[in-house]
Amino acid sequence: MLQSRSKILHLKSCRGRKVRVVREHYLRERVSCYSSLCQADCANDSKVLPGDLTHYMVPDAGVVADYLEILEFRELQGIVFTQTACQAVQHSKGRRQYSRIRNLLKDPRHDCVLFANEFQEYSYCAREKGESQEKWQTRCVYSAAVWYYNHLAGMINIVMITEDLDAVARYSSLNSGVYVISVKDYLENFWEQLRAAHELYSSLSQALQEKESECTEREYTEHLPAEVLGAGVKSGRYIKGMLEVSKHHPQNEASVLTHGFSNKKTDVSSSVLVCDSKSRNRAVHGDVVVVELLPKSEWRGKVTALTEGQGEEKNGEDNESKPLPTGRVVGIHQRNWRDYVVTFPLREGNQSQSRNSQRILSVPWDRRIPKIRISTQQADALQDHRVVVRIDSWESTSLYPNGHSVRVLGRAGELETEIQTILIENSINVLPFSDAQLREMPINSPEKPWSVDPAQVLERRDLRESHLVFSIDPRGCEDVDDTLSVRSLNNGKVLELGVHIADVTHFVKEGSLTDLEARTRATTYYLADRRYDMLPAVLSADLCSLLGGVDRYAMSVLWELDAHTFAVNKVWYGRTLIRSSYQLHYELAQTLLNGEQVEVPELAKLDTKEKDAKLAELTQALEMLRLVARHLRAQRDREGALELEGVEVRAQLDEERNITALVPRQPLEVHETVAECMIYANHWVARKIQETFPYQALLRRHPPPREEFFSELVESAAAKGFTIKTRSNKALADSLNQAVDLDDPLVNRLLRRMATHAMSQALYFSTGAQPQDQYYHYGLALDRYTHFTSPIRRYADIVVHRLLTAAIDMENGVVPGKALASNKDLEETAQHINKKNRAAKRAQKLSTELFQCLYFKERDPETEQHCVADAVIYSIRDDGVLVFVPEYGVNGPVYMKNRENQVVAVGQDGRCEWQSGSVRRHTDHITTTSALGTSSFRLFDHITVRISVHSSRHHADSLHLDVISNKPHHSAESQQPRSQGHRQLVQEVVRQAEEAHQQAQEKAAQRPKLSKEEREFCQSKTPNLYSLLEEVRELALMDLQTSQSYSHYSKIVILQ
Amino acid sequence: MAGLELLSDQGYRLDGRKASELRKVQARMGVFAQADGSAYLEQGNTKALAVVYGPHEIRGSRSRALHDRAVINCQYSMATFSTAERKRRPHGDRKSTEMSLHLKQTFEAAVMTQLYPRSQIDIYVKILQSDGGNYSVCVNAATLAVIDAGIPMRDYVCACTVGFVDETPLADLCYAEESGGVSSLALALLPRGGQIALLQMDARLHQDHLETLIEAAMTACKGVSKVLDEVVRQHLQEVSVLTGE
Repeated sequence: MLQSRSKILHLKSCRGRKVRVVREHYLRERVSCYSSLCQADCANDSKVLPGDLTHYMVPDAGVVADYLEILEFRELQGIVFTQTACQAVQHSKGRRQYSRIRNLLKDPRHDCVLFANEFQEYSYCAREKGESQEKWQTRCVYSAAVWYYNHLAGMINIVMITEDLDAVARYSSLNSGVYVISVKDYLENFWEQLRAAHELYSSLSQALQEKESECTEREYTEHLPAEVLGAGVKSGRYIKGMLEVSKHHPQNEASVLTHGFSNKKTDVSSSVLVCDSKSRNRAVHGDVVVVELLPKSEWRGKVTALTEGQGEEKNGEDNESKPLPTGRVVGIHQRNWRDYVVTFPLREGNQSQSRNSQRILSVPWDRRIPKIRISTQQADALQDHRVVVRIDSWESTSLYPNGHSVRVLGRAGELETEIQTILIENSINVLPFSDAQLREMPINSPEKPWSVDPAQVLERRDLRESHLVFSIDPRGCEDVDDTLSVRSLNNGKVLELGVHIADVTHFVKEGSLTDLEARTRATTYYLADRRYDMLPAVLSADLCSLLGGVDRYAMSVLWELDAHTFAVNKVWYGRTLIRSSYQLHYELAQTLLNGEQVEVPELAKLDTKEKDAKLAELTQALEMLRLVARHLRAQRDREGALELEGVEVRAQLDEERNITALVPRQPLEVHETVAECMIYANHWVARKIQETFPYQALLRRHPPPREEFFSELVESAAAKGFTIKTRSNKALADSLNQAVDLDDPLVNRLLRRMATHAMSQALYFSTGAQPQDQYYHYGLALDRYTHFTSPIRRYADIVVHRLLTAAIDMENGVVPGKALASNKDLEETAQHINKKNRAAKRAQKLSTELFQCLYFKERDPETEQHCVADAVIYSIRDDGVLVFVPEYGVNGPVYMKNRENQVVAVGQDGRCEWQSGSVRRHTDHITTTSALGTSSFRLFDHITVRISVHSSRHHADSLHLDVISNKPHHSAESQQPRSQGHRQLVQEVVRQAEEAHQQAQEKAAQRPKLSKEEREFCQSKTPNLYSLLEEVRELALMDLQTSQSYSHYSKIVILQ
Repeated sequence: MAGLELLSDQGYRLDGRKASELRKVQARMGVFAQADGSAYLEQGNTKALAVVYGPHEIRGSRSRALHDRAVINCQYSMATFSTAERKRRPHGDRKSTEMSLHLKQTFEAAVMTQLYPRSQIDIYVKILQSDGGNYSVCVNAATLAVIDAGIPMRDYVCACTVGFVDETPLADLCYAEESGGVSSLALALLPRGGQIALLQMDARLHQDHLETLIEAAMTACKGVSKVLDEVVRQHLQEVSVLTGE
């Protein structure tokens, strides 16, 4: 039975008065211990600690608060968190730290449990009179440790770790079997080989020591307390939003994006400018902050001049745009600190601050992050290394935030280091799959081949004999996740179209370790030279992949369409068993459609007669498919589907040769045919799950773009005499189709690119979280849309597969075994996937830029032909222009004015040189005046630029463009198909990296750790065709990278 | 302190109870000799004293008398020392008036008033210490007092509050839980027949959850009724020993 105790607390009331509060506290004898050694039949219903460990570890409240990062190591097993410690963390460190513990406890990959010690009759200690809170907490934790030892009948030793040395002295000899030691001793005695933990410990403890010796001079105003902020936001006095620091002026320009936060309606449209670091008040890029608007007289505008990112203070008053709402940060709602990659500054000579030398201001890789002060003794050893650090705190007395180092990545400038930097900067954490995860996988080896389960054959609809199933993918694709089938029924009155998708959810059960890992990754990451798979290879390349000639499980959607009107008569969804007959690639399929003779590998062995029959059958199916797809496409076009990319590909076919060369693949009709079928399947699945689960279906929406984002596009188009209508997606598509300059096909390309930049991003969401009119997909002109067709490389598709399965079960009257994720959970999942997708895309883009830089770094810009290229001006700024280099897919600024106030002057033959003079900006051109006369650069002018690499110690290298002539650049190089140029680029850089890698291995004796890391993270060293294609795709679609909604078809088309 | 966690992942509430567990209920009947009936009831740290006078003639204006049943007159008050900060006005404020009305409605449904036409029954309840669930504690205490007064009732009236957190109904909320922004519901039940004497909720709740919440409240009320029943039997035993029967 429960025992009741009274607890007397002294709390502060809302008016600040001290109040005596009496609370009840119930104790019970049975509190679950969550250990598999338990002899008392505790109700251990969730995660259980294994019994085969040498000890269980119980951290003290102080340890949990300060050294949680060490406890997060997966190697540390058998951790028992006490309720006392968790609550202390919640009080002292806030919700964020507390939710980290909760996530740790929920994560089955971590071996840790929570023991509710304060509710256990025998482990509860009442706080004594005059006992300090810390002492009492330590006593509680110790008594919990003793209880554990006794409860498990002394079968396992308990180690309590604490930083309180008094406690070590007092308790260590009290009970045998319960040891009390400090964190340092614990790590040294039990985890000697875990170097990373030791390093982390020393850096953490150093950071803690430093914290105590802070100076007291105030640099910033204090943040307001949370209640005041909450009330202020509610009343409309303050505005809440996400702080986004400007990339170009990180020191003194940031804006607070208020979109998506619950603010009272104010006149502020979407963002508030925050100007200098004083008014930014310790907020870091990404934090959710609360700002107060300044009076209108102090409002300022954004700096419109191009500066080179080093944040040199210019006398910028005249360079500003019209004043925007400006504010200052009064409080921080939530810190969103992540791991940052930093480098140490160069030590200037030997005049270093001798005594304070272990405190160093490190420079983050990301320019938007302020310098971080860390304490380390290794600064000299790690001069040119990149290091991962975390920010601990930022007191109002300190100019810079304090942090501690976590681990060393490697030497700056090396390929592996840079790639790891990109991953960490985007919070992508991909460790190799663990043994426990791989153990869950089915086995398919030559000795033990995997085969279809007979029980599954009965449950599934068998399409192996009845349907001609085939897949169309890029050449050499190994993860085939979609196949198609088409046949005519009822004497040709009805067409049956089928889309069969790999049944990943059959292998990946909800809640399994693989599922959790896939959820964390959310997508397969494609970098320029490698990829990190979402699922282990045995699934992604083998058992889930719908390869030709083998039996595979699938999720199918089958439509019965009227053969003439293409109206849908019936849709069938379900699990099936298929055997793909042909694994075609796009070029082959297109040749078959064109009616040309071609050898199909699957038919090579058959005799002529049989072959002809089979070939005819296949060709007929392909033709039927094409017919259906054309019709579906036309239907969507009528609704106003925007196909920026699709149109672009077609336009390039019609236009001049050198532009077509930009895209490596021939834009075949069959690409579109396949894509259209996939869109159709996605749409119908979205309909099905939305109808069955109106409040908890995962869909994908593409919100209409905001009108103001189109202004640049409209202005630029006007310069060429085109009008762009942006009222609806149909108007936009039509006006873009008309904006074609016959002399320069690039104009249309650039306009489309700007249109794409103006688009908002497509997002996953849970239907319960949005009103129904928000479901619309702007780009595709569909009322409901989701992702269903690529479960091997996207987690969203796995969720949708599960929803569809549940919907089918419900239709058949089967009660689903497990409750579906609620709207709240699903929305959380959707946000997570959105975040990860964004990170994946950024990482992909950064890695491409990295490769571009590495490529040009090897070349001397003055002599090499490769470094001179043609560029097109697409935007005008105050002191320069933005250009796009089609040959390399690079865009960037070209300065018309340099630091010495010299301007670009055009000579007789078009050659440009620096001369002193002035720059004037007009709406559609920019003019420079100098001794050589006046010259102007217009929008969409072709100029010649020289590409060089701007190296930086602390940040990523960047490309630097210099105008060398105002004439278009023509050389033999530019005529050469660009794809080759790029393939060369990747191969060359990879080759260099490999050489470096070999050298590194030769030096392995000196640097064993680094090469081990390299091996660990490098999943595929050589560039296979897949990654090359990926690379090429990325470059070809550089202009589309901001708009996921468009590029995902291209992914469907190219990648699979 | 950022938002208390009302229900931990392991299913414990702030004070260590599980979701459906009630607080400790202790009660005594017949605490005062002068009144016709009286009872003292503690539910956790909420303590209430109930006193019943009557049935007697209508006091004050005669016009209030009903020809076919008795009038029930309830008065609810809170002691000035019942809360953490001293209360200025023990009764007569809007909250107390509303509570009095609710009590009256509850007991009109439970007491067999038709047996006493043209008479009046007074029920006075005072909260001595308040720690959440004031209404339900008052109802439970008053039930005992009415029984002590020997006034026939259809059944015990048992009341309980239930809150809804993380898709789980929490029985018998304490003050910390009540003030933590939980949508709560108070229900008074005649447990044997399962009739609801009063149901009150002034928070937002999705309609889908209402059923489960009422279900949980009824279970909790039945639990309370068991305790009350025991108290009554115990009391009767003591009384009968005293009177020597």
